[in-house]
Order: sequence, then structure tokens, then C-alpha cells
Amino acid sequence: MKRRLSPILPVICSLLIATSFGFAQENPTKHVRRLVILKVDGLNADLLHRTMRETDAATGKSRLPWLSHIFAEHGTIFENFYTRGISLSAPSWSMLDTGRHAIIRGNVEYDRYTGHVYDYLNFFPFYLGYARSRQVDMPGVEVLDRAGIPLLIDAFPYSQRFQSFQLFQRGVRWPTLEHVLEHRFSSKVLFSIIESAGAPPLDELLSEETEKEIKQAMRKPEIFYLDFYTGDIDHEGHATNQPAALLDSLRRLDGLAGRIWTAIQASPLSNETLFVTVSDHGMNNVPGVFSQAFSLPDFFNSPQGGAHHVVTNRHQLSDYKIMGLNPLVQRVTTPSTASFYLASDAAHYPTAWLDLDGNERASVQLRNSDLNKIHILLLQLVRPELPQNVRTAVVACLTETVDRHRAAWTGTAGQLEEEMRALQQAIQARKKMIQTQPKTWRTGQREEGADKAARRNADELENWQREYSEYNSYLSHLKALLALHLDAQHPFRAKISELIPELALGDNNTVGDLQNYVAGPAAGGLVLDSGGRLDQQRSFIHVNYFAQLSEQRARNNPQPALSSRPIDFIAMRLPKGANADDSGAPAHAYWLYGDEENQLLILSDDSSHIAVKPIQHLTQDEHGRINWAPQQWRAGLPLHLFEDENLHLPAATERAAWLSAWHAESEWLQAVHMCGYSNGVISIVEYLSPVRDDVPGPPGLDLILLRYERRRRELVQADFHVFAADHWNFNARNFNPGGNHGAFFRISTHSVWMVAGGGVPTGVIDEPYDSLNFASTLLALTGRTPPMPERVVISQ
Amino acid sequence: MLRVILTVVVAAISTVSVCLGADIPPQRLHAATMSENSQSLYYWKTTPAGPTAELLTLFCQSHPSGNDLDNVNNSDNGVPLVAVLRDTLGDDDPKNDRVTYVWLLTYERPTLPQRMLSAVPFFYWRVGQGSKSVDSHDTAPLLDLTAPVHPVVSGIGRDLLQWTTLDPMITPIRATSRAYRTNELDQERLHLEEAIGYLREAPISDDGPALTENQLNTILARLELRKKLMGGLVNERRAARLGEEADLEQERIRSRNWELLRQCAEKTDLLFEPIDVAGASGQYAVVWFPLKTSFESHGTSITPIWKLLNIRNPWTDDRLKEWSGRTYKREVDENGSLLPLGTPGARQLELVPLGVYSLNYPKQPLLLVDFRDKLHVREHEMTQRTINEITSGVIGISHFTNWYYYVAADLYDFVRARHGGAVDQAGRLDCYSQFRVALALDSRLDPQFRTEMQSRVESWAVNPLEAAPGREMQNAVLRYARLQTEIENDGSLIARIDKDRRAELAAFGETKKAHFAQAVLHDGSFGLYTHRAKKDPANLATLDCYRRVQYHLQVIDSLVSAGTQPEVAYDSSRIQTSILELSGLMSNVHSPEVRAHVQASLLRLRDLSQDTALQSGCSLAIAELNRKNNAVRAATASGVVASVLTAETAK
Repeated sequence: MKRRLSPILPVICSLLIATSFGFAQENPTKHVRRLVILKVDGLNADLLHRTMRETDAATGKSRLPWLSHIFAEHGTIFENFYTRGISLSAPSWSMLDTGRHAIIRGNVEYDRYTGHVYDYLNFFPFYLGYARSRQVDMPGVEVLDRAGIPLLIDAFPYSQRFQSFQLFQRGVRWPTLEHVLEHRFSSKVLFSIIESAGAPPLDELLSEETEKEIKQAMRKPEIFYLDFYTGDIDHEGHATNQPAALLDSLRRLDGLAGRIWTAIQASPLSNETLFVTVSDHGMNNVPGVFSQAFSLPDFFNSPQGGAHHVVTNRHQLSDYKIMGLNPLVQRVTTPSTASFYLASDAAHYPTAWLDLDGNERASVQLRNSDLNKIHILLLQLVRPELPQNVRTAVVACLTETVDRHRAAWTGTAGQLEEEMRALQQAIQARKKMIQTQPKTWRTGQREEGADKAARRNADELENWQREYSEYNSYLSHLKALLALHLDAQHPFRAKISELIPELALGDNNTVGDLQNYVAGPAAGGLVLDSGGRLDQQRSFIHVNYFAQLSEQRARNNPQPALSSRPIDFIAMRLPKGANADDSGAPAHAYWLYGDEENQLLILSDDSSHIAVKPIQHLTQDEHGRINWAPQQWRAGLPLHLFEDENLHLPAATERAAWLSAWHAESEWLQAVHMCGYSNGVISIVEYLSPVRDDVPGPPGLDLILLRYERRRRELVQADFHVFAADHWNFNARNFNPGGNHGAFFRISTHSVWMVAGGGVPTGVIDEPYDSLNFASTLLALTGRTPPMPERVVISQ
Repeated sequence: MLRVILTVVVAAISTVSVCLGADIPPQRLHAATMSENSQSLYYWKTTPAGPTAELLTLFCQSHPSGNDLDNVNNSDNGVPLVAVLRDTLGDDDPKNDRVTYVWLLTYERPTLPQRMLSAVPFFYWRVGQGSKSVDSHDTAPLLDLTAPVHPVVSGIGRDLLQWTTLDPMITPIRATSRAYRTNELDQERLHLEEAIGYLREAPISDDGPALTENQLNTILARLELRKKLMGGLVNERRAARLGEEADLEQERIRSRNWELLRQCAEKTDLLFEPIDVAGASGQYAVVWFPLKTSFESHGTSITPIWKLLNIRNPWTDDRLKEWSGRTYKREVDENGSLLPLGTPGARQLELVPLGVYSLNYPKQPLLLVDFRDKLHVREHEMTQRTINEITSGVIGISHFTNWYYYVAADLYDFVRARHGGAVDQAGRLDCYSQFRVALALDSRLDPQFRTEMQSRVESWAVNPLEAAPGREMQNAVLRYARLQTEIENDGSLIARIDKDRRAELAAFGETKKAHFAQAVLHDGSFGLYTHRAKKDPANLATLDCYRRVQYHLQVIDSLVSAGTQPEVAYDSSRIQTSILELSGLMSNVHSPEVRAHVQASLLRLRDLSQDTALQSGCSLAIAELNRKNNAVRAATASGVVASVLTAETAK
């Protein structure tokens, strides 16, 4: 699916910009040769802009004098810049750093077939892998490379760039870490410890060292790309909502911006340097309101939640476990004490995998409901005491279940086999290529990054080999299931683990599966109907996850500002073909479930037009048909668009009619960006759209391998996504009482984008933009080819 | 391993001790409701201290009835808690103000019997309520901000005396001296934390009758640093920053603990309720048990939660099934959430309080009151103290020769802490210190509930030097009255202020080494020697000049330390004013260190600035400074200028 802006939008943008810059003193004709980007994680634009406008009585200047001086007085501020998709670090930075649609959609992702964990936020395994020459890039960069999506930094040759430590990082500069450690044990720090004033934390020292290095790099005229990443504001925003603490963090950032700007002015390319400050998302910090956590692992562990063994990427309440100290952890299983049929199998068969790192949103992957059913039935068949009539019914039910999937599984197995063959060929070719690579590198080659490129090839080969083994393992299970012949006369004797893959979830669940999810055998055991067939409704414990989750209530909710309903809504994509729009236009449909009465359908077409329909009682029957009842627009629906007083519609437009009609994405952005859920309508489309359409693959990639790459991305997509109500979060690792992000609340998505220098005019742009405008605009300003030219906001 | 064995041995000893210490009989409790109010109860009152200083006293509005303060006869209907002396030099300009002393008015000087008992090893009881009178010794300040190094020197001296002289002696001497020193340090910490607790609630103002934010931060930092052996070595500028950071960190801890306790309650089907005690909002919370309800398994193990909460699982506690103690009826909504008092709900629940927690303890909420087990908390405290006394006092295990024991002990504590054990004894003492006085000051909680908490929190009192909070509050009023007599024109405090000013004059421009040497001399002579300037009618004017120089120099230093254009961060006209004033004041400053410092700062400021007016201002000031430097050098060479400073011995 392609999402294009309306063709007239660039013209409109140009006009708007021209209007905005009517008072500009400078003409943007100077050539921007160097980019310096200050990347700030989790900085809310409202907070920043408000603080910049405030005057500090003690100094007579702005509370953030440098940011005001650089950007308000000498640069351009994008007042309405939003995170596109979910307001999480890994997806948000991936879009800012590439200028492309997101193919990374969580801070952690799990491959449903292999259980492989893509942990995008954990630096430690990366450092360790780098030290062992096993890894050269952060996991996010590896994923983007495999998908053929270059980073903004890749537009600059290796020798022309300086990259700080960040999520989408290529390589590690060991000297930086070395100097940090030296500083940590310096006499100055030791004296501070003796004085009882304590030692500065390592991240503060790393920040100081990086600042020193970026200043040194700025003195080199051959460096054209420099960035400085800081996570301090994000950490502080999670920890506290105190205005004083947030102001303190902002002041530190302000000082940093001032020092970088001062270094730019003193550098050889000062007139051709564009200084940019950007943040990936906002933060839901409201003074006096603590963010409260609702434990989804507890819910999925509980009998009403299906009594799953739950996988997360970090230990729950990790501060109170020795294991919580393990920095290399990527997968933690929390067993359910109420498990219905897998009581002793938590390590092998965890059936609910959660990405909670989003805090205000969680993505949920559950084992395929029919795979559960097959597993339960196989366990029954193992029992020698199972009555014959029940055994016969179980065999019939099991065979019927496998047969229902036979066509799809056969197709998957065939394609996967084909892909594995292509992968095997690629592995062989890569091995040969690596043998021809030099083993030692000259200084010049190292400066060009040739050694890293070679290591990248070797790392990729290792990944391919691992994947080849893991996918083949899944394939063998799939084939075994397809070849399953059951004996209705005797107990089942084969190993269940040869049929049901461990640490795998199988195919995604459908809406129908999740409304009628098989969580375990019924307490009363298997029940036959009058025809001697298995009565599935009475034989299994079923869970309707949408209803269950929306019914969750918090008992301990001492803050009147918070709803007792911790879950705002649940979102998932509906299958293509099951959801034809009234007009009959081809569309993707995304379902937002508040409760049975309050639901929305967001429809999008291939030209990025979007329509929103209020519905209720959406269900999927056993034949896969999706039914719902349309309803009138009213207050209380997910995203609360109808009642939002900040919804800006064209004059004399009726709200309900406008909201239900098809509009271009840009029109939606104009209309909703000031609303409580800001660009939620667009972000749902970005977040839930089929990811395979956004994977172009590296140039020249074999078509089968391209299909494989797209499959790998599809396999990490969650079954459904849970969004927290305002000031609730899903953090389970420790506590984020200060604030959180991840959802579509404007406070969580409203981000910072400010530019100065390099001839960029002075002004404030009110026009709303989102993450996709960032990289394209910067590349265009530096005279490079933007990945999405229609997204360029200012050009030279 | 030794520590584990000792734990077992000591547990037996302490159980016996605890039984002996159980001085409060169980009582039948009756239903009652609680009331809360988070409105700030603290306010400052300013009194002139002679013509050139002022005494700021922090009061807490208190208790119409029902607590220990009923007998306090105070026209303000407030309890004086902390007093601070601000030396203003007689003007309204805050640039030359200094905060010099901090008094904890509730500080209770231990009596002789208390001191004797505190030297008895394994004696863990508070005896009596404390002294009933306040004498002249009781107005000694808790903190002297003019000489933060003195406690460092004396602390090191006392530790050296312990390690080198007392520890090698026979066991009774070692054990006795260590017991006394430990109790003394704990008592000091208790009061430091008490003062910190009050001051954290204090209002601030830049122009009103309150401390400024910077002054308050400095005091808080100095109080915090005083708890640490070398804390007095931190310089003033850094201290203010540390104070600010400590305050922010405390808020982070509270919000984290608040959420941790709420989550623990949610996971275990208990009810969490934050309570305000004496206006201290967000610092304490109660966990309630709903009677006549049952616990349904959530599919997760809740065993670790009880460790974190430091209570036994109430759902398996038979006593709660037939609970005969006090219960509280509260309205809840349809989700079972507690409703504010007076709000009609969907139904009524009968609740039993399980515990009161302090949210100020780092890492986790700290159980202060266990309503089911009165001796639980006390037992824990006594066990840890007994282990310490056996190892360091009786056996004589030393940090130097038996370091491996302490490494193992630290490792053991680390593991316990990772599993939710509150192993930081000092941190626990801090929380107890705040809670005991907050309860004594409170007048808003339900009286019966407060009384129940007070009776149980008494079990924390394991230091013989400690006085009852109620007595401390009563004596605070007397101490405040005495302090007011001392700040009258002929009062002893006025004379003391003068001495301090002369010491400040003498110390101006001293090198760090010289400053430290003077502190050592002062402490080495047991305070008999203090380096001071001569008495002179011009002293006040000179001091005013020096303080202003320091103020402007601090402004300029903070600008140049950023390494960026100063006029961006600070209004250039204000910088210009500072430069001009500084330049004018420097004619009266002869210290070569200060002159060199000013010159270097101005040079740096000129280099950083791109404002031509500012640059020329700096250049002019530097030229003026150089001109005077030359003149001073010439004058010094001809012997015209003699040192205005001499040392005198103080009595």
C-alpha cells in the first residue's frame, strides 16, 4: 500500500511556508552542507514551547534561553509536529531516521514462528556482540538493512559522519566508553565520593564525553553529519511529573544546545551548518497526577485472561529480583499458577507474548487458538483412560481442525520451503564472498568503514544461518501436522513437541478466534453432543478478549482524575475482503473496540484516503465473515472525535458527515491534530497497515528472498493492540509514575522539530506535520535525494 | 555466614528483649473514620535579631485537641519547629544576606541518665519522656552553616579515637564506647532528619518573610551532608545544587513508592489509601484489609509481594477471620474502590488496617506500623542493632582487619535488598524520625486511628537517648521563647553574630588549605581558638562589601562556567551592572586570591561575550583592577598597607 499526499499538498505547503516566512530576514539560498542533529527522546513539544516562552525572573531571559535564542530568534519552529504511528521510541526514531513508513512497530517484537526476539532498546547485548565481533549494528538497524531501508546517516559516507550512542546506531566507538570509565575513576570524581557528594552517573559521563567528541568532530571540515542523542528527558518524564524536575532537565538540555550552537559558530562550516533539534514523541506528564500501571501479565496469567504463561522482554518488578540485574535478558517467562493444561510447560509453551515497553500501549501475541485446541486434544489422546467414544470424537475434531488449516498451511509450507532454499543459496554465496574478504584492514580502509561493512556481511550470514535453522524447525512441525494420521483406537504415542512447536505461536489469530479463544479444556472435561461429536462450546474454556479487557476495572484507583477503566480501547486490522466499504472501494479496515456499544472502523484506500465509521457489535463468524451494526456518530466512541471541541472542520460542515466521509490524510491531519488523540486516525493506519507493503528490500534482492523478508516482518505483527486510558500504563518492569507515552494522546505524540542555521529563515510554522516529513526535508536541504519528495517541507 | 548465624542467635535474644519491651497492652478497637487534609500547615514568622539580623521560625499550625500538644500554651496556635538566623547586615538587599544557624527547636538534650543508659550495650529502650525543662545549653544550634568543616574534623577525631584507642582495649570498654557512639550518632541523625522533614514542608519566597529557594536548598543540603562523615567539605555552591537534587530525588522516590504500594495492593486484593499526616502529602499510605471477602487466585504467585510489604499474608491469617480489633467502615464504589469520606457509595466495607507505610524510604515503601504484630518492626530493629553490637562491640570485628566479613555482609544485604528487604538502617531511622513527629503534630487524622498509630510507632524507639515526640513539641515552645530572649539587643546571640562576622571577615580570601588549617586548629583547641578579625566599627561595611563581591563573583562565575555567550542566558544589562558593582567594590578588597579570581572571571567573560558593550565593560573593569593591583603592590612594598586581620583567641 502506498500512502501519498495529495498532489496539491506540496504547493499548499510552499504557499503556507512562504506566508509563514513573510517576515524572514534571511533568504534560504545558502547551501546546507553539514547537519547537526540534537535528538531528544521523549520531549513533549507543549512543555518545551511553553517553557521557552516563559521569562526567568532571575536572569531576565527565557527560562530556556539558548533554545529560544537559536530556534525562536534565529530559526524555524514547527509548532505542530507529531509522531506518526505509535508514540514509542523504536518505531518513532525509525521513521525519523529513515523518512519511510514504519516497519518496526514496537520496542520489542517476537517472531511468531521462531520465537526470535527483536529487542530494539537493549544496548547491552549489542555492546557484547560488538565486542565479540558478532554484531556491528543495533538490532533496529539490522532490521532496516534487511528491509532495504537506508538511514538518514547512510546518505553521508562513513568518513563524513559522527554518530552518538542511540537506538539506531551503526557501530560502537570504544574510545568514548574508555574515556567515560577513565573519567569515572578520576581523582575529581573520587574526591567527590569522599566528600559524600556522590559520583556522577555513567550516563552523565557518557553525555559529557560525547559532547566533547562532537565538538572535536565539528572542527573537522570533512565531517558533514553529526548527531547527539539524549534520553535524559524521557527518563525524567517517566520518573516524575514534578515541574521542577522537568524544568531542571530542560535547562540541562538548553545548556547542551547552547554549547553545541557555540561550537557550530566556531566551526569551519558555521554558515553552512543546519542545527536541528528533534524529539521522537511527547510524554503524558501532568503535574499532580501519577501514572498508574495495569498489569497485563497478571491479566493473561489469570483464569479469566486464559491462564497463559506470559513472555515479556524484561523481568516484572525487576528491581526486586537478582535476575532483574541481568542486562542481557531478552525473554522472560512468567508462569501462570492457574494454567489449564500447560502447568509444567511454562518454559516450552508460553502462549501469550507481550510488548509492554510501550507503556501506554501494549501489543499482544497469543498462540493461535486452533493450535491450542490441537495441543489440548493431543494431550487428551495421550491419556490411555480416555473413553473410546470420546477418543473417536477427539480424533474427528482434531482432524477437522487440521483440515480447516490444510490449504493455508500447505501454502505456507510450500512458500517457506522455497524461501529456505533461496536462503541456503544466499548463505553459500555469502560464505564464498566472506572468504575473499581481507582479514586485516589498513587505516585508510578502516576510516572508510570497510572493516565494518565486512563485519556486517558476516553478521548477516550468522543471522541467515540461525534463521535457516529456526524456520526449518517450524516447517518440520508444520509438515508433521499436515501429515498427522491419528489412530482412533489407541492412545497417541508420538511426542507432542514434534507436532506443536515450542516457543512458537503459529499463525495470527482472527477476530473470531479472539472472540472465542480456546484457552484450555473445560473444567468438566470433554463433552460430546447428541451426535457423538465433540461439543466444542462445552469442551473448552473460551475467552472473548475484547469483552474481557474492556471490562477490566481497577480497584485501587485513589486519583479522581483517572478512570477506573484502565483500558481505553483495543485495535486490530480486519482481514481484507471481509470488510467491503459501502462504496465498494478496495480498502483496509482497522477496528477500534471500546466496548460492545462503542466501536469505530477506520477505512483507508490505496491513495491514503481515510474514512471513519461508528459501529457496534462487530463479530466474525466461523466462516470468517465479519458483521457489524452501523450507528450514528455520538460521544463516547473510541478516539472521542465527535465530541472533541478542538476538531477543526471546514466551515459549515456537519461533524458526523465529515467524519464518515473519505478525506485525504492531510485533511485529516488538519482537522484532528489539536484533538485529544491528535493524529490517531492516521496513526492507526500507519501502525496497523500491512507491513509487507513497506518493505522494499535491498536493491537487486531476489524476489523469493524479498517475499521472505516481508514474511519475517509480517510474523512479528501482533494479534491486537491494547491502548491505556489517560494516565494509565502497562509497564511491568518497574514504575513510571511520572508519565508515559505510546498512545495517540496529543500530549504523547506532540513532538519537537526546530531548525536553525544554514540560511533557514526565522519563523514559526503552524501547519501540522508528522515524522515522515523530517528526514526527507533534511536531506532535501542538504541537496540529497529525499526518500519521499512529496514530504519535503522546506527545500534549498 | 557469621552474619546469618548471628541473626539466628540474636533473634532469640531480641525476642526476649522485645517481650520485656512490650509496654503497651493490647486494646479493643472501635469503628471510626479518618479525616484528611492536605492543606499546607507550615508558615514562617520573622523576628528581628538585633538591628542587623533576623530570626525566621517555621511553625506548624496544630491540633485543636487530642494529641500530646494539648498542654502547649502558644498564642499562635502553632508549634515552632525550626529557627533559622539570617544575617542581613541590616538592609533589605538579599545580595549580602547569609543564613548562619539552624536550630531544631524540638531538639531534646539527653539527660545524664539517658546518656549513661545509652552506653549500656544491648539496651534498646527509651526511658521516660525526656527533660521537662529547657536551659541555656539547649539553644545551641543544630547546624552552623558558617563552619561546615568543623563537624568533619571533630567526627574524624572521634572515629580515630575509637579505632586507635578504645577499640584495642578490653571488650567492656570497646562495647560501651561503641554503643554510646552509635546511639549518639543515631540520635543526631534522628534530629537532622526531623529538621529536614520540617524544612521540606516550609514555604519559600524571594521577597517575603521566608527563606529563598536557594537558602532553603543550601540548608537542606548541609543537613543531609552532615549525616555523612566528609559531607562538610562540599563547597557552598555545590551544596545548594545538592539540596535541590535531593529534594527532586525525594519526590521521585515518593511517587515510585506510591505506585509500588498501590500495585502491591491491587495484586493482592487489598486497598491502598494515601494519607496526609500533619500536612505532609504523599508521604504515607495505609493498606487496608477488607473483612468478609475472599481472595481469588489471579494466576500469579503473590508470595514476593508479602516480602515487599513486609507483612504476613492476611488472606491466610486466621486472626483476621475472627478479628476482634478495631475496624473501620468505609464506602466503596461498584468497583470496590475506596471513596472519599462522606461520599455515598455502592456498598460499605468493613476494613482492618494492616500497615502504615512511609513512602520516603529509597527503593520501596517502608512498613512503619504493623497493626497485627506490634513487635514485628521493633524485633527487626533490635536484631540488626544486636548483630552490629556483637560484631563490632563484643567480638571487635574491624573494617580494616576483617574487611572480608563486611564484604560478605554487604553482599548478603544486597541480595536481601534485591528481594525487597529494607536493609538500610539509616534510611529506616530517617523514615521513623519523620513519622514520629508528623504524628505528634497532626490534628486532622481520626484521633483514635492516630492514637493507635502512635502507640505502635513507639516500638521503633530503641535509642535510650531519644525523647518522646510530645515532650519535644512542648519544649520547642520553651526553647523558642528562650531563643527570642537571646536575640534581643543584649542577648548572647547578638554577641555570637558579631564573632561570626569577624570570623567571616578573617576567612575572606583565604586559600582552601588555610581555611582547612584554621578549622583543624579550631577543633584541635576544642573551639578555644578561632581565627577572627579585630573588632572595628567598619567591620559591618567591610563585610557588606565582601559579601557583595562574593555575590557578583558567583553570578559571573556561573555565567563563564557555562562556556557560552553570557548575554544569551542572562540579561546583559544585569551582567553589566554586576561588572560595574564588582569593579567598584574591588577597591576595598586586598586579598590577592580574590583579585586574581575576579580578574580571571572577567577575562573569561569578555572572551565569551559577543556584546561589545559587555566586552568593553569587562575591559574597563580589568584595567581598573590592574591599576589598583599595581597600586596595592606598590603600597605593600612600601609597608603602607598592613593586614587588617589578626587572630584572636576566643573564650
